[in-house]
Amino acid sequence: MTIKGGYCQKILEMDLSKNKKHVIEVSDNFAVKYVGGRGWGARIIWENLERIKDPLSPSNIVVIASGPLSGLYLPASGKTSFSSISPATGLYADSNMGGMFAVEIKQAGYDAIVIRGRAEKLSYLFIDDDCVELKSAKKYKGLGCTETERHLKEDLGDETLRIATIGPAGENLVRFSCINSEWSRNAGRTGMGAIFGSKNLKAIVIRGTKDLPVFDLTRLVELGEHAYKTLKSHRLFEFWQRQGLMTVVDYANAAGILPTHNFKDTCFDDANKINGEVMETFYKIGDTACYACPMTCGNVNLVKEGKYAGTVTEGPEYETACMFGSNVGINDFAAVLRANYLCDEYGVDTISTGNLIAAVIEAYEKGILTLDELDGMALHWGDSDSIMELIRKIGEREGIGNVIAEGSYGLIKKWPAIKQLISQVKGLEQSSYDVRSAITMALSYGTSDIGGHHARAWTIAKELEVGSDWTLDEKAEIVIYQQTVRPLFDMLGVCRLPWVELGFNESAYAEFYSAATGIEISLEELLKRSEAVYNITRAINIKLGATVKDDFPSWRCFNEPIKTGPLAGKKLEMEEYTKILQLYYNKRGWDENGVPMLKTLDRLELTDIKI
Amino acid sequence: MRKLTVIPERCSGCRLCELACAINAFGVNNPKKAKLRVFSLYPHPVIKKPIVCNQCRIPKCSENCPTGAIYTEDGIVKIDEKTCVACQMCVTSCPFGAIFVHQEIAVPFKCELCGGNPKCVEVCPKKAIIYTPEHILGQSMRLAGVLKYAHMKEVEYFEHGIVKKLRYADTEKGKTSGDNNDN
Repeated sequence: MTIKGGYCQKILEMDLSKNKKHVIEVSDNFAVKYVGGRGWGARIIWENLERIKDPLSPSNIVVIASGPLSGLYLPASGKTSFSSISPATGLYADSNMGGMFAVEIKQAGYDAIVIRGRAEKLSYLFIDDDCVELKSAKKYKGLGCTETERHLKEDLGDETLRIATIGPAGENLVRFSCINSEWSRNAGRTGMGAIFGSKNLKAIVIRGTKDLPVFDLTRLVELGEHAYKTLKSHRLFEFWQRQGLMTVVDYANAAGILPTHNFKDTCFDDANKINGEVMETFYKIGDTACYACPMTCGNVNLVKEGKYAGTVTEGPEYETACMFGSNVGINDFAAVLRANYLCDEYGVDTISTGNLIAAVIEAYEKGILTLDELDGMALHWGDSDSIMELIRKIGEREGIGNVIAEGSYGLIKKWPAIKQLISQVKGLEQSSYDVRSAITMALSYGTSDIGGHHARAWTIAKELEVGSDWTLDEKAEIVIYQQTVRPLFDMLGVCRLPWVELGFNESAYAEFYSAATGIEISLEELLKRSEAVYNITRAINIKLGATVKDDFPSWRCFNEPIKTGPLAGKKLEMEEYTKILQLYYNKRGWDENGVPMLKTLDRLELTDIKI
Repeated sequence: MRKLTVIPERCSGCRLCELACAINAFGVNNPKKAKLRVFSLYPHPVIKKPIVCNQCRIPKCSENCPTGAIYTEDGIVKIDEKTCVACQMCVTSCPFGAIFVHQEIAVPFKCELCGGNPKCVEVCPKKAIIYTPEHILGQSMRLAGVLKYAHMKEVEYFEHGIVKKLRYADTEKGKTSGDNNDN
């Protein structure tokens, strides 16, 4: 097969230690086999794994990849994928970001950028089509994410530059810091910001002007037009434009899966003060959207009065509203917005930050932490002032913030008793769904290759709705299916939300792929490649020391039944979970230790992967 | 004569208009070759404005063109590629910045309204760009001006036990302080 479009077939490799760039030509076989985005990332990490020591040492690499569909005329085609070894989990990591960054990478003539080594001084990388330069970022040291972007645009005299930057938290190697672009697009999870920080890389600035290669533009436009029409005619389209992911707050609260008070409770009495309705009525002043996306789920909000007056931020979406709302007991939407703003500016992940702050509040409530250890802050639920102060302390690594900045594992190392209070998997703080009532969601978190995140599989709604008669077999299968479909979007360089939220048919993506690349391919074949990538990330994790015990959700899921709400009394049973986990391994073709078997690797054409 | 007009507060900044325009105009998937641009003012994500050609009746671009390459045909301002010397005088003299250049394209390019069926209008998911008869232009500003003067008020009243609303203009409030000389 020959690639006729979709890919630039070039990777820009930048060694920061030597200040040397190198452009790698990508073979047709490699490009198609690993598709792009996270697929390329995982494969490149695998090839470099032997050489990578500590995640925060110069030996680590970060792969910033677009996909073959990035930038093309189809809904939400602006996803950038960051892959590396995580400083939070010590395992494989990826995180993706919306916006326009991926498009600009491709317009500059590359599919991906690989960053190696460590710059001597704080620097930023300026990619201006073929001209690549490492420049001093001394001036931007300590600046917040949006501020850095604004200054860079001013100093370089071009408002159309695309910039991915870290904030003070990334510079200070906070283990859950993120990479931010265009105000509020974040590669949030797994500590990508700290990896940039460890490489003395403050930002990447790109300006690209080239045409994106497309094999059959007429066909692509036809398919794209059809996709846009389908989305626009969905009955929830207009509502989605208005509220975006904020609609989930009411759903999660009514269903009884809204993490509240550090995942102790699953319903929040004041959920109607932090939901989409409140946002729309009192705070929302505008929409934003990622590249070529009609869904506009970015909500721009302004606090007009009270102590947080003047705060403007893009967001929150559901995860942030929950983690800085119900999960820390905040019932004031203005405070949620302020927390969102501070996290974006310091450059920390809102999920991990909210999750850990909630755990610290509970630890203080339970007497595990003393007033002294909290720098004299008597924390309690809903105490927004102290919570804002904690975000600052984390970002600046000051006092208690310095301990929280080390993430779940750091906190547990310092205070072992806090282990039972932190909801995390593999050291990545769990995102905002309580799993005690839904074993498929527990399995999703447990077996997610990056740790406790819902990006790989989100099965909870379906299980609560229709899953009561599912057999364990079926339950394991649905998790595997989701873990195969969802990462495919990250490999293609597009957003999964048109499929998740507005029911856009996933088979359309095989057609998009064919139109773009000139390679006729079926959805099944693409899914097989996604499955192969899941086996590569598994192999990376096994090599890095992950074992069966890393595939379990947190202590609370098995030991404290839900106290209130529609699902009161539910908890996970260890025996059942162990059973479904083994079933899952079996169906994936992994042995009882969760290691991919040779015949599985054979079937997926991964014979060169030696575990 | 119909013209493009934009409602910036509706624009989400997705740039689908740019992409569709470039595909339509040059047959390439490259938003940098669009004949309109969405300008986002940083760091105010609320301020996003599609910059479109207003097809001015007294076009500065044409006035300043040293070779007379810019002419008006049926109300649409066009660039004659043969006469144009690509000095880019038009680009800098347009008061709106609605003429663009790209290193791969020989001469500056601008919106020519897609033969009466503008692609950007068709694809905009937020209806932020509209194609409207000339005499409608400015209507929203006229309306805003009227409402500002009138200070519309609402009162609730009961009629046969049902709450109804009445809107009326509180003209007294519309007076500016300068009008109240007799006080």
